[in-house]
Amino acid sequence: MLWIAVHLPQLSLESFAATLDEARRGEAIALLQEHRIAAVNAAAARAGIKPGHKRATALALAPALVLGEADAYRDAQALQAAAHAALAFTPSVNLQAAEHTLLLEVQASLRYFGGLKTLLQRLHQDLAPLGHAVQCASAPTALGAALLARWHPGFEIGAHTTDLKLLAQRLNGVPVWLLGPGREHWEALQGMGLHDLSDLRSLPRSGVARRFGPGLLQDLDRAYGLQPDPCDWITLPPVFDSRLELFARADTTEQVLHGAAVLLQRLVAWANGQHARVGRFVLRMHHEPRHRDGGQPLHTTLEIALAEASSDADHLRLLLRERLAHMPLSAPTLELSLHCSQVSRGAPPNGELFPTPRSEREGLLRLVERLQARLGREQVQQLRWKPDHRPECSTVLQPAEVRPNAVSVSPAPAGCGHLSRPVWLLPEPQPLAERHFKPVLDGEPLQLLGGPERIETGWWDGAVAQRDYFIAATGEGALLWVYRDRLPPLEGEAAAWYLHGGFG
Amino acid sequence: MDAPSLALRSPALARPAQQQARPQVLVAPETVHPTLWRAHQLGRSRAEALATGFPELDAELPGGGWPRRTLTELLLPHAGLGELRLLAPALREVMHGGRVVMLFDPPAALCAPGLMQLGLDVQQLMVVQGRAGLRGAARELLPNADVLWALEQALRSGHVGAVLAWLPVRLRADVLRRLQLAAQSHDGPVFLLRELAAQSRPSAAPLRLALQPGGIDRLTLRVLKRRGPAQLQPLQLALPPVLHQPTAVRAQPPAEASPLAVEAAPPAPRPSLHGAPHFQPG
Repeated sequence: MLWIAVHLPQLSLESFAATLDEARRGEAIALLQEHRIAAVNAAAARAGIKPGHKRATALALAPALVLGEADAYRDAQALQAAAHAALAFTPSVNLQAAEHTLLLEVQASLRYFGGLKTLLQRLHQDLAPLGHAVQCASAPTALGAALLARWHPGFEIGAHTTDLKLLAQRLNGVPVWLLGPGREHWEALQGMGLHDLSDLRSLPRSGVARRFGPGLLQDLDRAYGLQPDPCDWITLPPVFDSRLELFARADTTEQVLHGAAVLLQRLVAWANGQHARVGRFVLRMHHEPRHRDGGQPLHTTLEIALAEASSDADHLRLLLRERLAHMPLSAPTLELSLHCSQVSRGAPPNGELFPTPRSEREGLLRLVERLQARLGREQVQQLRWKPDHRPECSTVLQPAEVRPNAVSVSPAPAGCGHLSRPVWLLPEPQPLAERHFKPVLDGEPLQLLGGPERIETGWWDGAVAQRDYFIAATGEGALLWVYRDRLPPLEGEAAAWYLHGGFG
Repeated sequence: MDAPSLALRSPALARPAQQQARPQVLVAPETVHPTLWRAHQLGRSRAEALATGFPELDAELPGGGWPRRTLTELLLPHAGLGELRLLAPALREVMHGGRVVMLFDPPAALCAPGLMQLGLDVQQLMVVQGRAGLRGAARELLPNADVLWALEQALRSGHVGAVLAWLPVRLRADVLRRLQLAAQSHDGPVFLLRELAAQSRPSAAPLRLALQPGGIDRLTLRVLKRRGPAQLQPLQLALPPVLHQPTAVRAQPPAEASPLAVEAAPPAPRPSLHGAPHFQPG
């Protein structure tokens, strides 16, 4: 068995920073737990704030300090997203919530991913968008890997060994307080002059068991591979649901988008964990309940359905941005939640190195999706020809749809010898005056050149057309399509000539 | 592009003593680099141009056709004087390659049978309309931010075969410059159709043409700007005829037999255009 342990040392701080807006993320941030500073970021550490300080001390050192409360639920959600991302590499993932550590059993995945080194690189790549600092180590025992990963703060790709003896050598240097049950005895162990695991192992086992309980010895044996170490594997929830409580209320859609981007990364991690792509997701914005009497809704729901399922976080974010940009916020937003239950499984389509008709279709699909997200579905249209003699019925405009699989292109219809139909149509036929039996446009008589061509149809659907069409020319030579009602106008009706279109 | 001035500033000209050392630079500077040409020559472009389908027009255009990856401005007094018949051969070529043609904010509704008679595949046409809101007179004058955004996205994506955009006269120069930059990643022609009044405004488009109706089934084309010498006289193009030949002959009154003389002074754009909601035929 080969285990990779991934430890997220700054998880609490990073999960808190995710709830801040962009400008504040760079400032000094510290987390409070039971009125004491529990974690500080680099900027706060530069100001001299250390874990264990009191709130007043910290604020005296850095008056602009952003203080947040540690929240175990928030941390658990962030850690869960990382665990989902890890599920893309192995089905055996164990979550140690208290230690902010993931354990991956990867022996069976090594060959598929091309060795431990490549696997670790891919793991890093997949974890990077979640924005966590990562320490990792691999070892033949789960607890051994976890101890090594948590021990060394400095290196990103940590100590890797597949040999039990080598592992034992490394573990001998691990400080005792890293062992879970040893923690409450930390002072006692220190008082006895026990600093690392080798010190602890050199003591008689019966004495250690009597003093500190059998749990410490068990952990020690599991870390060194002397005892079996059964683990619980996590399972992926069938429906994605994640919440993010914003630190400050979001008044603009830009701030909402910023928080939503964090949730989208988690969504993509969840989808990647089951090798699926997101087909539809719902963002719900929970508003501040201050306009209770005004009947303001408590939350706004934004549903985004994709034409083609995608697991590209950037693409999802762009779609969300276009939709949000055109949506006024009815009230400031306090909390965001993202929900997704519709995914499409199966292997994603292959990427293309050189442009092919297929990749071009996909690019076009994304373009149309983005345009429709911002302008509205009805504003990006496609033409369809309907066999009908009435010109106003022969063209159907429908929202554009690009079918990604329709690679084969129908051959373009060959243009016939002459053109008898216009390209431009007026939405409504424009009545024309008549002078000397000729239609008049803007005071100029039109010259009738072609026609008449009678179109008399549509008696079955109520829009009867009985018209004689002519091709007419204006004085400067532009060609128009005009028609005369077949039946003479009734008493009091307007002229019988109409302008219907133009030859482009 | 200030390539002609670049040729003038070349060291061989600045220092005549070196003329013997590098005579080939002076003999044919256009062979040195594709962006160099002499003032009396037509410029060339690295991207292969798209044949217009009219050989006499190809001869007037730098590169021998509609340029790719740059803007082409067509200025016309109003829609419906044969602009689509002029562009149809090139668009047909684009569609034949399986690529999509996008139309932005067309001035009137399109009629599918008419487009099919021009040989265009209507399924490969996409129409992008700006949001409702700017209608009437303002629509003619002010650019719609949504349309400009969509146009830029389409150009930048590089997945569209050809683009036709009907843009208003009042367009800030930096908007056109942005579009010109975006067009560099678009492997196909970009036609911006604007009113004739825009010809006095500065534009980043390297090719600008003014279109005038030149009689029935004829189009008069003036090259306002190109990479090359100024055009001496306007070009008369015979468009694919709408009318049968005998009718066309009957329609030509004897006074209009030589349309060149008539076209010496282009008529001013009609002010009544702004009042029309969508489409104002002549």
